[in-house]
Amino acid sequence: MKKRILKADNLSYVYGNGKTALDGVTVEIYEGEKIAVIGANGSGKSTFFLNINGVYAPTSGEIVFRDMTVNKKTLNELRKNVGIVFQDADNQIIASTVKADVGFGPMNLKLPKEEVLERVAQALAYMNLTGFEDRPPHYLSGGEKKRVSIAGIVAMKPEVLIFDEPTASLDPINAMMLEEVLAKLGAEGKTMLISTHDVDFTYRWAERVLVFCNGKIIADGTPLEIFQNGEVLRQANLKRPAMLEVYELLVESGVLAAANAYPRQTQELKEVLRDSKVILGDPA
Amino acid sequence: MPEWLQKNENYMPREDKDTFINKSILSFLALIARIKAQDKKEDRFQANAFFRVLFTLMLVVFVSVSRTFSFIYLVIAYLLLLLCFMPGREIAKILRTGLVMTLFTAIILLPTVFYGNTYSIFIIPVKVLVSIIAVNILSYATRWDQITIALKRFHVPDLMIFILDITLKYIVMLGEFSVEMLYALRLRSVGKNAGKYNALSGVAGTLFLKSRDMAEDMYAAMECRGFTGEYRICQKFRFGLADAAYLLINAGIIYIFIRLY
Repeated sequence: MKKRILKADNLSYVYGNGKTALDGVTVEIYEGEKIAVIGANGSGKSTFFLNINGVYAPTSGEIVFRDMTVNKKTLNELRKNVGIVFQDADNQIIASTVKADVGFGPMNLKLPKEEVLERVAQALAYMNLTGFEDRPPHYLSGGEKKRVSIAGIVAMKPEVLIFDEPTASLDPINAMMLEEVLAKLGAEGKTMLISTHDVDFTYRWAERVLVFCNGKIIADGTPLEIFQNGEVLRQANLKRPAMLEVYELLVESGVLAAANAYPRQTQELKEVLRDSKVILGDPA
Repeated sequence: MPEWLQKNENYMPREDKDTFINKSILSFLALIARIKAQDKKEDRFQANAFFRVLFTLMLVVFVSVSRTFSFIYLVIAYLLLLLCFMPGREIAKILRTGLVMTLFTAIILLPTVFYGNTYSIFIIPVKVLVSIIAVNILSYATRWDQITIALKRFHVPDLMIFILDITLKYIVMLGEFSVEMLYALRLRSVGKNAGKYNALSGVAGTLFLKSRDMAEDMYAAMECRGFTGEYRICQKFRFGLADAAYLLINAGIIYIFIRLY
């Protein structure tokens, strides 16, 4: 059985202007889970992330990391173990060289100098950034900046990694590279939460989906459960993933036998089609 | 197609120079280009930035307190030698800045001639020229991040170094943002328009709001990475052949200064 790593219990957050961003959010996150957090703009996804990392103090409710309830004394422990990669890399990158920026987190963890340098080298190699050490990060391309911002979090070796709309403003090649990095982190058993508007990505990547609407979690389930629930999709202004649409269309039109294959990747769809030769028949 | 779109219109906007907007764009671009030009690899034949900052400051102090022309001539010769190794465009910029400031100083000191103090009008502008050239050589030949590391070694407070780093970053980012807004303004200001310059206050206001949002986001990102107000830099101190040669030359300059003082 998987261990619980993080818990938000009846979490509420109200901004200074009186706007309620989170309204009684309760959720449990388990080790190694790959969770997509979806919902319209302003639904509370980013505020939720900043609360579970301890940047924002909840108006009411509590955060539990492992078995430790987060308070002022334990805040640093939470930040050490829950890392956020922000949507805009420019806001996250602060130092004047790639090396200094990636080392910023480990230095704040008060690690010995040798370990900081080792972690920086490892994180740069992990993100394919070796050779960029002395480059000023602000002159890098969008994709490279994103990789630097991820390297900065990877170097802190957190147990939970949170990505706030990581594919926004990335070109297809860089988005693909990012998915490769996510796969690598997933293979290492890291717990990941990703907020995104990309339903196709959610469908093929996530194991679990949280749907936010007006500061509340309105649905929590597998991607298939969520995207087959028309009411949830309508409430959260979401589309169905193209892969799911195509598969259901093929089943409906009789090209594929009614089965519960539900392919998530193009390769899986190809395999399903290959196995269904009997129904398709010989084109000749 | 709607009817109003099919009507012929002979709209000829009255010509306007747009000089102010163009100049603003050019000045922003020049500033960004100047900072971006620093995105180059460190020359491995260059001495450590720590020594360069230290000796440049020392040189400025020595030149200021020097009472003999001989020492100043020696420093000029040394600086000219350093300039010879720099790209032509940078040499021109350094000399232009130095000469303008020297001329300015000379004009300010002109009244001293009428009081019979001819010595000051010669030596002070020359000292200004030498100091400006020395600082500019350091600025053009040293990357900003190397200067901040050097400042850290001089035990300049962490927060001050951090502010310098962030300032430079935002000059580039907000500079690029303002250039885009000025382009948008120029594209929409066709013909003569009395309210054109008023729009610039809008550009400044938007820039302010943008910078405030960026600062808030950056602070949140820093807190996420465990920032508690202490800014530490981790850099190994290297000492190579170039550093030894640089130290030797500067030791010679110090020796000559002491002898001539």
